[in-house]
Amino acid sequence: MTKSYAKINEKIKRGDAVVVTAEEMIKIVDTKGIKIAAEEIDVVTTGTFGPMCSSGAFLNFGHSDPPIKFEDLWLNDVYAYHGNAAVDCYIGCTRMSDIRSFEYGGGHLIEDLVSGKSIRLRGTSYTTDCYPLTEVDTEFNINDLNQAILCNPRNAYQRFVCAVNSSDRTLYTYMGKLLPNFGNAHYAGAGCLNPLSNDPDYETIGIGTRIFLGGGIGYVIGEGTQHNPKNRFGTIFVKGDLKNMTPQYLKGVSYEKYGTSLFVGIGIPIPILNENLVRKTAIRDEELITEVIDYGVPRRNRPILKQVSYKELKSGFITLDDKEIKCSSLSSLYYAREIAETLKKWIQDGIFFLNQPAETLPIETGFNPMKQTLELRFVKDLKKKAEICYEDCDIKVVAQKIIEKNTNHVVITDKDDKLRGIVTSFDITKAIAEDKYELGLIITKRVITTYDNEPISNAARKMKENDISALPVIDDNRKVIGIITSEELM
Amino acid sequence: MTIIHCTLPFRLVRNINNYSKIVNDILKHDVSFNILKFSTGPEGVNLLLEVPEEKIKSITDSLKKNNINVNKKGRIIVDLDKCIECGACISLCPTDALHLNTEEQLEFSYEKCIGCLLCLDSCPRYAIEEM
Repeated sequence: MTKSYAKINEKIKRGDAVVVTAEEMIKIVDTKGIKIAAEEIDVVTTGTFGPMCSSGAFLNFGHSDPPIKFEDLWLNDVYAYHGNAAVDCYIGCTRMSDIRSFEYGGGHLIEDLVSGKSIRLRGTSYTTDCYPLTEVDTEFNINDLNQAILCNPRNAYQRFVCAVNSSDRTLYTYMGKLLPNFGNAHYAGAGCLNPLSNDPDYETIGIGTRIFLGGGIGYVIGEGTQHNPKNRFGTIFVKGDLKNMTPQYLKGVSYEKYGTSLFVGIGIPIPILNENLVRKTAIRDEELITEVIDYGVPRRNRPILKQVSYKELKSGFITLDDKEIKCSSLSSLYYAREIAETLKKWIQDGIFFLNQPAETLPIETGFNPMKQTLELRFVKDLKKKAEICYEDCDIKVVAQKIIEKNTNHVVITDKDDKLRGIVTSFDITKAIAEDKYELGLIITKRVITTYDNEPISNAARKMKENDISALPVIDDNRKVIGIITSEELM
Repeated sequence: MTIIHCTLPFRLVRNINNYSKIVNDILKHDVSFNILKFSTGPEGVNLLLEVPEEKIKSITDSLKKNNINVNKKGRIIVDLDKCIECGACISLCPTDALHLNTEEQLEFSYEKCIGCLLCLDSCPRYAIEEM
């Protein structure tokens, strides 16, 4: 049995197309079987609503009088990219406001724009003979724009990883707030409702596929950046007219100490052209597998700790080494369902038709790492010998060592060279000022450390974040094997 | 000190004197306490109070006798209008005070909240505020 796009669209036009959501499809295939489902069902709708950082919009303001060619411009104090013709710009959702940085960014700007709110536009120019105006400061809303086009180079990941944190401190990431020592887990994606998971070989998705985008109608315009079909991390490049979208499905968000983003609502209709597509759209959460990744390791290749299914993720807990870890989603299943239902209704009501893609998404491309010409340097390349005193020694010995070795930091260890603390020349000075003469009273015991194979840039960030000037280098047994100070980093 | 949240339901608010009922009840216990917030909401007159831990049982009991609803320990307000039904706060909540209902929408059970505030900086929509 095969159907065509034309046949399905005819049925939609007549108002008798049979449309179900991807969740409903599972039950239908269960009760009726694949053959009957293939005959009866015309379209399966999908949906997802989550943070999609590779989102933004092209805007065109029209010409001012006298005309201006923007060099720099800001929308509600969010810097917009201008590298095109005079009054075009691209506002990206992760760009943060110059004034309210983490609180407000391009994502919020797009939500405000779609809400019809007034937006302040400030722009400057170096001026040319054809564009003589030096600056603009005005207000506009979406209706004043010639074009407002949502254009997102990477949306709707086929699946996403589940993030945990093995380190001893809370991490603030694009995967939300991750508590130390595997305190919680976050995942993203709607599992069996996820658009690309329902057509994993992209039989029906490609350039020109008409989709639900931000509450309006949009199109897939190709594969997304980092499209990685071999590993089931497919992505799509989408565009749509912002003027037809709604703020309900475009929400600006702020992740603490990470930055801003945009929740984007996307739903893709999958035409049931053949029995294979019945099987694919009936996929269950337990068949959709992803990886638990340790974000406690600040490197590109973060360790994969285990495989989990979306069923396990949606249960609210994952188990890692017999430990139950509370797990929740960064995206919204409630709105994903609402999107699949809305798209279903549009098709049933005969106001949304299916487009056959001009070209389907590639199924063979991969995703390569960045080529870095500068050699990555590690702590072991720059560390020096640590000046060490035992924890039971006299404060005077420490002071002498600081003078003798012309250093600012003395690392305190036990007799097995295991780290116990650190003392700086400032600590000694302070001790004298406060009449404290016992080493135990002035040691900093909670020491931020590093290790041989830590990239230098990570070590530098630790120093900057904690406002300190040295990190003892320790091995797996907490034995001190060196020190790295801000002097080495300069 | 412990924070309790009291609600005097509107059906009991007959005249102006009823408004001071919550405060008068606590004054009977001869304790010093702080009024952190006074507001009216759809369910009635709300008071957020800080009371001594050791008196919490007797205060709660006498308030309940007068049909005043009492919840203890919660320290956050969740603005469900701002919430976008993601789960960024849920994995952080040690007591399931923040959880999704069967419709996958966020619910906050005040009585389960222990005021750890781990969720406070997790909401991407700033829908969680400390009281």
